[in-house]
Amino acid sequence: MANATATAPAPTRPISITSAISGWWFLVPALLFFVGYQVYPIIRVIWISFTNFEFLSSEPARWVGLDNYAEALSDPLMWASLWRAAEFTLMFLPGTIILPLLLAVLVDKVTNNKLSTLYRVILLIPAVIPSTLVFVLWKWMYNYQVGPINHFLVEVLGLFTVYDAPQWLGGTPLTLPAIAIMEVWWGLGYHTIFFLAGLAAIPKDLPEAARIDGANEWQVFWHVILPRLSPIMMILVVLRFGTAMAVIDEYLIFGGFNRDSPTYTWTMFMYDQAFKTGLWRQGFAAAIGMIGALAMMVVMVILIRIFRSKG
Amino acid sequence: MVERKEKELLLQEASRQQLVRGQIDRREFMSRTLVAGLGMAGVGVAAKYGFGSALAEDRPLTPTFYQWIEDLHPGIPTVNGEFPGINYQIAPVEGFGIERFVAEAKNKESTWDIYVGQTPFVEMSAMVAADVIEPWDDYIPKDVLDDIIPSIREENLINGKMYGWPFLLDVIGTGWHSGLTTQAGLPDEAPATWDDQLERAKAIVESGAAPFGTTFDSHGWRSVAPMAHSMNPDIYTSEGLFDFTSDAAIEALVLMKKLMAYANPDILLEGASDGGVNGTPDEVAFAAERVGYYNKYFNAPLRMAANWEDPNQLHLGPLPKFANGAGSTVFWTTGSALFKYGKNKEKAAEYLKALTYDRQIWKDSIVGTPSGHPGQLPPYKSIYAEWDANPPDWMPPFVGLVRGQLDSAKAIENNLFGLQQFVIGKPIWETYLKGEESDPKVAMQKVMDAVKAEMERGK
Repeated sequence: MANATATAPAPTRPISITSAISGWWFLVPALLFFVGYQVYPIIRVIWISFTNFEFLSSEPARWVGLDNYAEALSDPLMWASLWRAAEFTLMFLPGTIILPLLLAVLVDKVTNNKLSTLYRVILLIPAVIPSTLVFVLWKWMYNYQVGPINHFLVEVLGLFTVYDAPQWLGGTPLTLPAIAIMEVWWGLGYHTIFFLAGLAAIPKDLPEAARIDGANEWQVFWHVILPRLSPIMMILVVLRFGTAMAVIDEYLIFGGFNRDSPTYTWTMFMYDQAFKTGLWRQGFAAAIGMIGALAMMVVMVILIRIFRSKG
Repeated sequence: MVERKEKELLLQEASRQQLVRGQIDRREFMSRTLVAGLGMAGVGVAAKYGFGSALAEDRPLTPTFYQWIEDLHPGIPTVNGEFPGINYQIAPVEGFGIERFVAEAKNKESTWDIYVGQTPFVEMSAMVAADVIEPWDDYIPKDVLDDIIPSIREENLINGKMYGWPFLLDVIGTGWHSGLTTQAGLPDEAPATWDDQLERAKAIVESGAAPFGTTFDSHGWRSVAPMAHSMNPDIYTSEGLFDFTSDAAIEALVLMKKLMAYANPDILLEGASDGGVNGTPDEVAFAAERVGYYNKYFNAPLRMAANWEDPNQLHLGPLPKFANGAGSTVFWTTGSALFKYGKNKEKAAEYLKALTYDRQIWKDSIVGTPSGHPGQLPPYKSIYAEWDANPPDWMPPFVGLVRGQLDSAKAIENNLFGLQQFVIGKPIWETYLKGEESDPKVAMQKVMDAVKAEMERGK
């Protein structure tokens, strides 16, 4: 009888309309923030993208339907600039995933607590440097004339001369890889911490059991550890895909507004049209932004499906 | 206590002015009055003055400056001292960004009265188009207007109205490292023609005095335009665009390619700050004492030479000429815009007159101070005349040379695409400089087409 009482469903009291409504009041602050800070700006940009809004013009904005989208999609610069963003993402993402993963596995193997903490602190140093300092540092590192990288290549190794040394920044073909290297360095510690957290969540007896069953270290990593890190990988890939495709600060600083530069991506194209050129065609710029955002969303959905299909 | 009362009354009067202008409603006015602890006294003042008449301005003169101007001209605070209560500020602009000014003007308001940092060909047309600024014509004293060098006055006009009060004059000229030129056995004087400069640049490289003979800033308004002006400054279309297809522009492009043979190889790269337009490779090469001759506005060689072991080895002179060219160059002024929805307009004119005629600022600019050496020059005839009549012992010879060249120099014409036309064109004309296009005329025609296509967007 006592057992039957314990397993019987608890009696539910019907929720009154008043209490249901009063519950919603608690959500109002968050809802207001969400609508005002997230939903409204997006809807506003979508609306602007269907108008001929020019920031410097005193003429009222006029509805132009899909004209801005048609113009953007028929402009070779739109496609070239999207492709450049994709190129950077392809250079940046592997370094953001593979390197931190390997480092995390190595740091995880360190058994001395003090040493392990020291490695983690060292790895995190770049992540806590303010962006301005990071850019100043790397601009100096990559400088053609006085940068230490070219000094090493020219003066120490003698691989180049002052006339043919690599031109890293400023819109050359090396600019995107150079920025990708900087970004990977900058995020190395931060991303490594993600994987270290994932490794800590894997029960230690799992790899041990695999080893007892005869698996070598590579097999343990590939078949036991890596599948359990895939949720972390998915988060990193999706987040970093978004940031890599939408980079603009670094391009403004390292590449400028040269339309042939590999750093002139769709974000630069959008900024250029919105704040630099002519009467600042922000309607057109909004359409560029929406196209870029849609392209990113499509790829993100595909990425999420790939990771989900792998369990 | 008395001081507190005065503050309260000032606060109340400011609120009343806003009420008069319709910026706040009566409810807001009453709320502020009560919050300020005035109670019925506030109501009394409102009743005394009534709600319909606008009286004195309710804020002090509020100029805003582009940051670099303050950095390079330490004499500005001294002038500010002559205007008690001035609310001196630094503008929220970076890389010529005027978004804030435009956004405020759309609401028919302005936090500031004047903006000191406006370069006419860069942003003046945009500020006029967006109804942000108004002409100085009703406020600038006639003696000041007549004193401005004619070409500079012309630079600050749009449709015959003066939208800029010129302040700091930059002229594109030539700087050279006399240590390197002497080592190469070259005379210590400015090359008279471009052919001279090319020969000397070659001599520097061949003598081993420096790895590079010459350099320039590859941004069009600092290279194509001044070099073209040195051949012929009358190369603007009826709509005010730089005519890239003109003979002078094409000669300039060919000259750039010849100069590049003796220049630092990274010369075409974008700069390291302000969206690529500043911190350019030419500056680094000159600062590193790796190049003999340098064509840019004087501010650049002066700043870069400050890094040399002996900055006195920097010498300055006018831009070279083409053999049969006009001998002109490009100049621009950085001056002040008058915000349409600002206040204190008469006071602003008084302030700018004091600022732009301040002799200490000009001496500091030309001679240099520990905080910088801009080498920027005044826009007024009378100041040069005064220096001619009684040459100060600190006056370097380049000032007279530049003043002489100003009579034939010309600013880039004002247009919404005044700066952008060069940004759009740069990657296209560079196809010729990089050898991807063999015909400079074809490259320049493509530039012109691209600029016009950009202007036609959305029409």
